[in-house]
Amino acid sequence: MYMTPSKASKRLPMFLAAALLFLCFSCYSVKIVGVNSVPNPDPNNDSDDGYRNQRVIVLDTIVKSGVITDGIGLKTQREGCASGELHSVEYKNTFGGSLLYLVTFGSKRKVRIKYVCAKTEN
Amino acid sequence: MATTKDFQKTQWDTLHRNGPFPLKLLQVTELEGKANMPSSLDRYNDAAKEIQRLITEAHNNGHGFRPYGSRWSMSSIAHQKDRMHFNSHMNIDLPVQPGEVHSSSPYHHSNLFFFQCGNTIKEISKALGAHGKSLKTSGASNGQTIAGCIATGVHGSALDVGSIQDYVVGLNLIVGPKDTDIVYLERKTKPALKDSFAQKIKARVIRDDALFNAAVVGLGSFGFIHGVLIEAENRFLLKRYVRKIDKQTALKLSDTMDFKNSTFKIDGEVDQAGKPLRPYHYKVFINPYINDSQYVVEAMYKKPYRTPYPDPFTTIEKSIYRDLIYLLIKISERFPKAIPWFIKRLENAILPDVNEETTGTLYETFWDAPYQGPAFACSFGVDHKHSSKALKILTDLTKNEGPIPGIFAMRFVKKSEATLAFTKFPITCVIEIDGVLWKKSNKLMSLKEFSARMIQVLKQNNIPFTIHWGKNAAWTFPGLVDHMFGSKAKEWEQQRARLLSPEMAVLFSNKFLKDIGLSKTPPPTGGGPTPIV
Repeated sequence: MYMTPSKASKRLPMFLAAALLFLCFSCYSVKIVGVNSVPNPDPNNDSDDGYRNQRVIVLDTIVKSGVITDGIGLKTQREGCASGELHSVEYKNTFGGSLLYLVTFGSKRKVRIKYVCAKTEN
Repeated sequence: MATTKDFQKTQWDTLHRNGPFPLKLLQVTELEGKANMPSSLDRYNDAAKEIQRLITEAHNNGHGFRPYGSRWSMSSIAHQKDRMHFNSHMNIDLPVQPGEVHSSSPYHHSNLFFFQCGNTIKEISKALGAHGKSLKTSGASNGQTIAGCIATGVHGSALDVGSIQDYVVGLNLIVGPKDTDIVYLERKTKPALKDSFAQKIKARVIRDDALFNAAVVGLGSFGFIHGVLIEAENRFLLKRYVRKIDKQTALKLSDTMDFKNSTFKIDGEVDQAGKPLRPYHYKVFINPYINDSQYVVEAMYKKPYRTPYPDPFTTIEKSIYRDLIYLLIKISERFPKAIPWFIKRLENAILPDVNEETTGTLYETFWDAPYQGPAFACSFGVDHKHSSKALKILTDLTKNEGPIPGIFAMRFVKKSEATLAFTKFPITCVIEIDGVLWKKSNKLMSLKEFSARMIQVLKQNNIPFTIHWGKNAAWTFPGLVDHMFGSKAKEWEQQRARLLSPEMAVLFSNKFLKDIGLSKTPPPTGGGPTPIV
């Protein structure tokens, strides 16, 4: 359907708002926290998110998977995770990640995980 | 060997962003690994040596030195402009053997536990839970380190129990670089451990009530708290109820603490005569911007531990977009009249759900409080008999000269023996104003101005008060500490001068201590207490 430029310019903000809303809803995170564990502290983490003062490890990568790939396994790293035990894991789903999965027919998967290990017990 | 990493920093901030404050050096000590030094006692003593090395280093550089843990305090009490030491990794717990309990000890061996400074309330609760024990009380959450809790007087709302420092019965302090500067301090009238325990941690023993009572709420200035001995109790459950009750009933209970003759009654929480039981915990929530005839109250009753009980944790929790809160604050700075409307809209996220009922251990009930953005908290202690009057004065001020983006609550705490405990009244009503940090605008007064006005109106109305050491306040208000504590402030200074050498008193000082006028080190007078150093 043809729209006059004035109509189009009127609808543009609505379109942008809808797109923004869509992006927001496509972007969410799920976090699982151990009720009995203590987060590994980091006095140098001055971030303004929920991880402030915690030693957070971020895995942000794109994993290639084949047709026979059922799942992706990850292990805690030694640096920043001396206890080797998990306190919290957060999985973030983004619009870009969903789009990548769609356009590559599932062969590329964006993995964005933040985890905090448990504080070492002495 | 315990190792310390140095980080050259220019500033430091509290967890809730109440700074920033200038800093030269951040030091982080990690203990020797268990594989290399299997004995906890050896690692504990090794850590003490490392702390003494850091004290020497700071002293040689003419620097101040101050340990901190979880940086939860909102005042600048934890800050030192020269060197700050992060002690959260120092989290050993040492067993107390039955033969190590003092023959005159009023404490049962099975209730005594020794923890290194960096253990958080959560870690201690876990360790105690493994022995079927529990802390007697905690703050509203569990992330503070034990040393930070007692230095600032962290409390809950256990009206007949007290604050965290009130179940600390022994202190291991490092007050300087010499061997004799490691001390184990406890009350003479209530000794807990034999000298043999102190010898194990290479400490000399001091048994002195006045010194202990001053040091236990030491404002981070009584040396380095390396370890604390606590008295725990058998694990228990808390049955928690949230109710909306008549405002006058809630206030009358606050003023009288007479639960037995109150109309506030919860089914099942009554005595044999059908009279209401006295709760373990009582808290009142107040939105100052609505004229509601009812207040939300939270009451908890202590029950013997038994299993099974329902899982007190909700499996799924949703969080609010933090950016939304920031946006609301930005709007509030320009249009302060919007604040009451915003608070009303956010009430569901701020206040507990009415008619909520849970059962859990102390540890499960006062669980994690994750960082949710820049925040402020002001906290005044008044005699509970003045609760409703003080609340009205402060809420009227907030409405008439504010609004400010915060909400009120009242908690109740038994008197502490500590010299500078702000829970100094028989039962202290702690009136709290918590909210989101804002910036002063031409329409909205600053937190500093608001804090000073609160002090002024309480003084004008002749209501004796104290202020929580770890909260936001106009700490430079003239004569504030003298007004709050009178001769106790002088007594605290004298006790500090007994324990710390003049050089170490300077080293363990900070701007906060100077601001409140307690950094002086008066020489103990002829008739005063005997110097220990």
